[in-house]
Amino acid sequence: MTGIADDIEDADPGLAQERTELAWHRTAISFAAVGAAMLKYHVTAGLLVLAVGGAVWRLSRLVRDRGTARASGRRLVVITVTIAGVSVTALAITLLGHGAGGLRP
Amino acid sequence: MQIIRRVSPPGGEADEGAEPDARFTFANERTFLAWSRTSLALVVAGLAIAQLLPPFPGVPWGRHLIGTPLILLGSAVAVISYLEWAANQGALRRGQPLRRSLLPRALALTITVITLGATALTPISAARTH
Repeated sequence: MTGIADDIEDADPGLAQERTELAWHRTAISFAAVGAAMLKYHVTAGLLVLAVGGAVWRLSRLVRDRGTARASGRRLVVITVTIAGVSVTALAITLLGHGAGGLRP
Repeated sequence: MQIIRRVSPPGGEADEGAEPDARFTFANERTFLAWSRTSLALVVAGLAIAQLLPPFPGVPWGRHLIGTPLILLGSAVAVISYLEWAANQGALRRGQPLRRSLLPRALALTITVITLGATALTPISAARTH
């Protein structure tokens, strides 16, 4: 994906829009999967990330509503900040956790 | 119109150049989303390694040595992919060529180092228990 449309499929913005919406769906499912995996170690964090998955799924609708990606900058910042938050949580679970998985006894 | 300008990418790109072809904008956004999923996968892989892997005998911090860099790599990929999205969007607006992405090389290099570290842990663990 270098931004150059050689493929005949890329000639229709409608399909590009649909592919982008599907990419948002996949991202939402990824968040939900991470949340489900986190549930095992930290219930609150897991539920929070699962909720983020739902929110990201709703964000995908904006692709259809806006048409252009002019206003997408803020949405993408939200995704980036959320992933940073998820990794900080994962680090905290890993390094500060007690018992089998944590560093502390 | 004012609102649209305000939520445009940082770096002053909003006022430069022209709105690019929507297909390019969508492709740029999908690339960012694909990297986001990659970073989520790295984070969850690091978490799973630290939590699910049985501890290395003699090297109790071994799992964290593999898992923590993966989680850090995940957050780095998320941040860099956003910066590259913004840079690419600006380049598209100005009709300039896109810069080559830093991420594939960084990802390959870091994963190689982590893999070598993980490989080294097995003989270290064996040496410490004997």
